[in-house]
Amino acid sequence: MRPSFFHHLHPPTIPAVQSRWRHTLGAGGTAILLMLILGVTGILEMFYYVPNPQEAALSVQTITYHVPFGGFVRNLHYWSAQLLLIVSAIHLLRVVFTASYGRPRRFNYLLGLGVFVLAILLDFTGYILRWDEGICYPLVTGTNLLKTIPLIGDFLFRIAVGGGEACNTALLRFYTWHIFGLTIFVLILGVWHAFRVRRDGGIAVPPPQLRTDNERISRNELVRREVLQIFVVSIVLILMSIFLPAPIAAAMTGKPIVTEEARAPWFFLWVQQMLKWGDPFLFGVLIPFAVLTLTALIPYILPEPADADIGSWFPKSNRLAQIIIIAIALIVIVLTLMMVLT
Amino acid sequence: MKKILTIASGLLLLTLAFAWWMSSRGPKPVELIPTLTGQPEYCITCHADVPDISPSHPTVTFGCVTCHGGERLALNADLAHSTMRGGANPSDLSVVEASCGGSNCHSGSEADDRNHIQRVMTSVQSTYAGAIANIRYTFGAQTDLNAHFGISAVTDDQTQTGITSLAPFDPASETNPSIQKFGEECLTCHLRAEPREGDAYARQTGCAACHSPAPPLSSGEGWGEGKIHTLTTAISYAQCNTCHNRGNYDLRSMTFVERDDHPTQRIDDYYQPIAQFTQCEYTLDCVDCHTRDEAMGDGDIHANQKSIEYVQCKTCHGTPTELPLTKTLTDPNDIAFRLAFLNPVVDLQLGDTIIVTEKGEPLWNTKVLRDGTYEMIGKATNQYFTFKPVMGSHCTQSGEDQSSSYCHECHAVERQP
Repeated sequence: MRPSFFHHLHPPTIPAVQSRWRHTLGAGGTAILLMLILGVTGILEMFYYVPNPQEAALSVQTITYHVPFGGFVRNLHYWSAQLLLIVSAIHLLRVVFTASYGRPRRFNYLLGLGVFVLAILLDFTGYILRWDEGICYPLVTGTNLLKTIPLIGDFLFRIAVGGGEACNTALLRFYTWHIFGLTIFVLILGVWHAFRVRRDGGIAVPPPQLRTDNERISRNELVRREVLQIFVVSIVLILMSIFLPAPIAAAMTGKPIVTEEARAPWFFLWVQQMLKWGDPFLFGVLIPFAVLTLTALIPYILPEPADADIGSWFPKSNRLAQIIIIAIALIVIVLTLMMVLT
Repeated sequence: MKKILTIASGLLLLTLAFAWWMSSRGPKPVELIPTLTGQPEYCITCHADVPDISPSHPTVTFGCVTCHGGERLALNADLAHSTMRGGANPSDLSVVEASCGGSNCHSGSEADDRNHIQRVMTSVQSTYAGAIANIRYTFGAQTDLNAHFGISAVTDDQTQTGITSLAPFDPASETNPSIQKFGEECLTCHLRAEPREGDAYARQTGCAACHSPAPPLSSGEGWGEGKIHTLTTAISYAQCNTCHNRGNYDLRSMTFVERDDHPTQRIDDYYQPIAQFTQCEYTLDCVDCHTRDEAMGDGDIHANQKSIEYVQCKTCHGTPTELPLTKTLTDPNDIAFRLAFLNPVVDLQLGDTIIVTEKGEPLWNTKVLRDGTYEMIGKATNQYFTFKPVMGSHCTQSGEDQSSSYCHECHAVERQP
């Protein structure tokens, strides 16, 4: 039987070890699924969302309370976006912990990291689109951080937010960035990333001569496993969307006011914690950028993992990379907890 | 593997069905598009049982959000209520301008007599200026009885009384302990203050303090459990009593001594044992004689109650030498018609002659009858009274000395000890 379109996206057979759940955690595939859900639910939301400061929050309330299944679709969109960040982080950790970023995958590691950063920016811009009282802190602080960058800060601010105050023009800018500007980049980088996975020889495993397990599975089996993962993730997502409503607040009237209790979105709480310590450029821009750069350089400045170690968990040959990524993760988690607990 | 997939797809279908069922469970939204705003609101999804607040504010015209604020589209109670003005009482003076104000409503109007919010803000009922000045004078914090402070800052650009502004009274910045105690104990009877505890003190703040009579004291039925959604100008004496007959201040201990009984016989249960009353004073409601300017202010800042309260016995009864002031209604736009329309206890007609006060305020619930006598309809009770002028009676009181204490000399009713 000739393979269907979906089967055709996969190689006829792959080494069994590449597709084991305990090897990949299914994180990359889950991220693709979540992005597809985000695309579909996002398009549905666009039928009702009004990107205009007077009506944005009201249109979100309309979606949530008055459009049939609107609240459910919005919850799906919200939880997919949050899970996407978590799943992407797990994917990144998995790649480092299994020494899967070495040549020839160094460039694809960067592509993946790019998709991760774009996903964070998409989540952030999506947050802003609510345009209600809950988004004042990220809107005001986030955009003002851009201004602190020497020389090009004002220029970046104008690109991201439009001129003047983070107000009327800002919403349309964020809307366009969210549904078009960032999305088109994430689409290009995401497809490129997936294409490079196959071009680089599939999921990282040792070269054939160093493998202990030479079993292979057919693409039919692979697709079955993927479908199972899709079902499980979908069930979890649907249950979350039924029981945990996405945050919503009263419409913003007048200019955004940042209060003491205002919080950044959860994935930027660690930056908000650091901003308490002083210089916004240092803590809000330089350090996060340094963390990103350090993560990006892991495949380039650290010694290549040994061929035999590729794909096995916590191998000795890339200890330093593991330590660096664990340190970054721990610092982010601790800073986030500090912010949550204050 | 195929078996697991079958089970998983079954579970997925089940969760989808569950999602369907859950989203069909919520309340069916009920839309209201008030003619005034044209913007849909969904408050009546849950609040269908709330009656119109008054014939002048029908829900189909005003909706809920115009006065109460709130998120008009939200179907989640917390979100819907999160931006309500003044909690359940949008007429609280801290938010009244947004709720009741506007030149089409109750503020910003050229005419002083429609500018109710400015009137109330500057009235002694909300400034408490007289009491504050008296106490500060008594305890040496100021050398005159002029009003310098109010409960909060107010200004009046077009003052007729010479008082252009009041600074906010801050008991903490006073040095005399009695004034400090006054600040702690005695600031519970102005329009910004939350009432004291107890049914007898039950009232709202702001406009609703007078215009939303609270059950069980009002003649009207309350809506819901202890809630009230009524605005009226038919204000019974019991509503005034929530502040004005609930006890007395003890200046030695600087405390408010609450009375512990409930008045049933109006004449016997007034808290001032030495006070004297004529029949009108314990039969009529306060608003039958006392005017809008007296109760709500006239737009100017007054130094004390005495400076704004002016209606006396002679306003209706005249003196041995003069009949009460009257006015024949010839202008269909006369304010008397508007007031009678708001509380239709009388059928006022063009050509009717009514009593007016010395400031020209209409006592629109009175009428001069053809035989030279007068009638009055109780604004809150709808009771019918007739009375005669003093002129032509046996009264020999000088026309110059007409304060009520002189009238009480002969006409007060003997009270039970």
